[in-house]
Amino acid sequence: MAEGGPKPSSSVKLVLLGEAAVGKSSLVLRFVNDDFQENREPTIGAAFLTQKCNLPSRTIKFEIWDTAGQERFASLAPMYYRNAQSALVVYDLTKASSLAKAKHWVAELQRQASPGIVIALVGNKLDLTNQSTGLESSMGGLSLSAAASDGDEEEEEEGDARQITTAEAKSYADEEGLLFFETSAKTGHNVQEVFTAIANAIPESTLKTRGGPGSGRTGGGAAGDTFGGSGGVNLSAVGETNKDGCAC
Amino acid sequence: MWGGGSKKPQSGPAQEMVQVGTNPIANPKTTTLDKDTNTDRSESSFWRSRSPQSNVSTPHRDGAYRPPADSQTKVVGASYSYTDMLNFENTPSRPRTPTHSKHKSTPSGGSHSPTTAAASYNAFMSQTDDDWGLDLNDTSIPKETTVTGGLGSIASMAGVTSIEGRPLGAKGSKGAGGGYEYPLAKKRTKGLKAQFEGLVRDPGNSLHMIYHPPINTDVHSSAEIEAMNARISRINRFKTVLQSSTVDLTKLRSLAWGGIPDELRPMAWQLLLGYLPANSDRRVTTLERKRKEYLDSAKQAFSRGEAGMDQTIWHQISIDIPRTNPHIPLYGHKTTQRCLEKILYVWAIRHPASGYVQGINDLVTPFWQVFLSAYIEGDVETFDPGSLPPEVLDVVSADCFWCLTKLLDGIQDNYIHSQPGIQRQVSQLRDLVRRIDSGLAKHLNDVQVQFIQFSFRWMNCMLMREFSVKNVIRMWDTYMSEGNSGFSEFHLYVCAAFLVKWSAELKKMDFQEVMMFLQSLPTKEWGEKDIGLLLSEAFMWQSLYRNSSAHLRDDGTTVHNEELNL
Repeated sequence: MAEGGPKPSSSVKLVLLGEAAVGKSSLVLRFVNDDFQENREPTIGAAFLTQKCNLPSRTIKFEIWDTAGQERFASLAPMYYRNAQSALVVYDLTKASSLAKAKHWVAELQRQASPGIVIALVGNKLDLTNQSTGLESSMGGLSLSAAASDGDEEEEEEGDARQITTAEAKSYADEEGLLFFETSAKTGHNVQEVFTAIANAIPESTLKTRGGPGSGRTGGGAAGDTFGGSGGVNLSAVGETNKDGCAC
Repeated sequence: MWGGGSKKPQSGPAQEMVQVGTNPIANPKTTTLDKDTNTDRSESSFWRSRSPQSNVSTPHRDGAYRPPADSQTKVVGASYSYTDMLNFENTPSRPRTPTHSKHKSTPSGGSHSPTTAAASYNAFMSQTDDDWGLDLNDTSIPKETTVTGGLGSIASMAGVTSIEGRPLGAKGSKGAGGGYEYPLAKKRTKGLKAQFEGLVRDPGNSLHMIYHPPINTDVHSSAEIEAMNARISRINRFKTVLQSSTVDLTKLRSLAWGGIPDELRPMAWQLLLGYLPANSDRRVTTLERKRKEYLDSAKQAFSRGEAGMDQTIWHQISIDIPRTNPHIPLYGHKTTQRCLEKILYVWAIRHPASGYVQGINDLVTPFWQVFLSAYIEGDVETFDPGSLPPEVLDVVSADCFWCLTKLLDGIQDNYIHSQPGIQRQVSQLRDLVRRIDSGLAKHLNDVQVQFIQFSFRWMNCMLMREFSVKNVIRMWDTYMSEGNSGFSEFHLYVCAAFLVKWSAELKKMDFQEVMMFLQSLPTKEWGEKDIGLLLSEAFMWQSLYRNSSAHLRDDGTTVHNEELNL
């Protein structure tokens, strides 16, 4: 279908996974609408959104499935990650247990999702830590009200609510070959960067020019093409590629 | 053609009025008391004994129902006997729902432990029989007044409830304002209705608290007057049914299907869900028992602090409560949040097969709003319940808990592992839409939209994310009137009617547009009429397809063949 310009355009299916209330929907809202809302209603089932990301050589259109975090809905997840080319596995860096859940999702993706899936591990709620200051976000003019409440219970003491160190998460991401970012959906810090990095990491060969819409249909059957070559996560060029911003 | 209220046959109200008169609602023994003496009696009865405390200038009325130990039996029994179990909660200044720490520190708490509660309850019931008699007499009078007033006079009298409501004001002459606008109310807890004590004891008292604005031919247009009269006569039709000593649930269902007047909804819902006994003689004691059971459960569940709680469930609930109806101020207030947390947690631990599942937090809110509205004046959605007496909060919480329980009993398999109820409903919806609107079904299939992608939420949250709470409340009038299957089966037809409503638009959209559209359907402006129409359409589809549900279970591709075979 019509490419919106000189550059080739392709759709990339992306799925968000992670424990409840880590900020999956907030990350997407920031990426798609450059907006943030305290206390958004929990996602039920999954939400679908899209956003374009302009790279120098091509335009990537993300078709995003933002899934519900509660364990009871986990059985729906395969439907959404089955044909995904990329996944954003989110944890709350102020909540230790959420990284364990993220690891669980990474393992499941490596086992069951498409072999070439690009996975980014994202520690969200950086604004609740001391590090939140001094960010020169690529989002213009976003001042951060430091340590403001996020509707969660952790921020009793102002200051550093961090429970998961950058080093810990980073070393896990390196081991598993994941992209890794710490973000704040609230301030916008690093949010665009995550998606840009994913867009850059998608191998050219897997891009179809505007494949069928909603390329991830499944018919709800059992996970079909699974158990293939696991661990084949492609992510070589991470660091140097995220200079190009995604279009908003 | 499927206009809401007229859908089902309704019997004329006039005869029932007569019948009510012969069936006094309250305890039979009170009916022999002469109503002429009522006013004087109420001055000298327990109402009066309580009045100094419950008076007006005390903004926070906690403690008002906790008389000194020496006079406990008399006054407690007189006010409402389940106060017995509320004693554990001696909040000093701010009305709050009970917390475990308080139970322990309250000296009288020991005597109200679950094991002794029954005994002490019976004891004071017998000791306070006389007070009960007076009490019930007070409330039985207005019911008869209503009867003798009859339909005609009600319709012609402006602010008729100022007469009916007086004894329920429960404050002697000060209650004489009655109706909706009590001078008294301004001086007491803000927004709290003056007659709340009567309501706490028996929701039937809501029948006498309906305010009819005076009709003024100079001010109101003829259309307005017509609407007001229509409202009055509709309310009276409900009252006729609800006042009966044994409520005819069939009649109530047929009336309620087309929507319940706000003032009568709390009582009607409780009856329709089978929480409030149809037999009025059993109401007071049943409510006492159920409320006590809930409060005991809550007390026990929270008695060991967070450490003693199911961490997974509690964590999930406590992160979801702040994001429940975040756009409605009522749900931003701490008091609401604490009460809802407790209701959800107690429900979850009592239903281990499902536990707490996101979406259930949405389902409790119509109850919270509706039951709370019975006790307050003005718009409940902007109300801060923090100023309410703890007694009221406890009663509202307990009623919410039990009604939520009744509702969820009918859709249990929506929330157990792998949510088979929802899976089934989604698949039934798909098959139903194939039959109702095959063009739409084909289009959705062509653009590769799966039903589960948009309708999972419709089932999991009962369309509550698609409509305002007010509209959902109206829908629930009908769901509850459909009996046990309202929230499972009838809901399916509502979803189908809702989807095909957008058929023309959807057929022009591709995958992405369909998904975006279905995730934020343009229902913001929807009002009661739109909901009424939707429900009527659902009723029509149900009438056509309910008995052919065998098709719905089969794979859609075979539906048409089977249809032909049948």
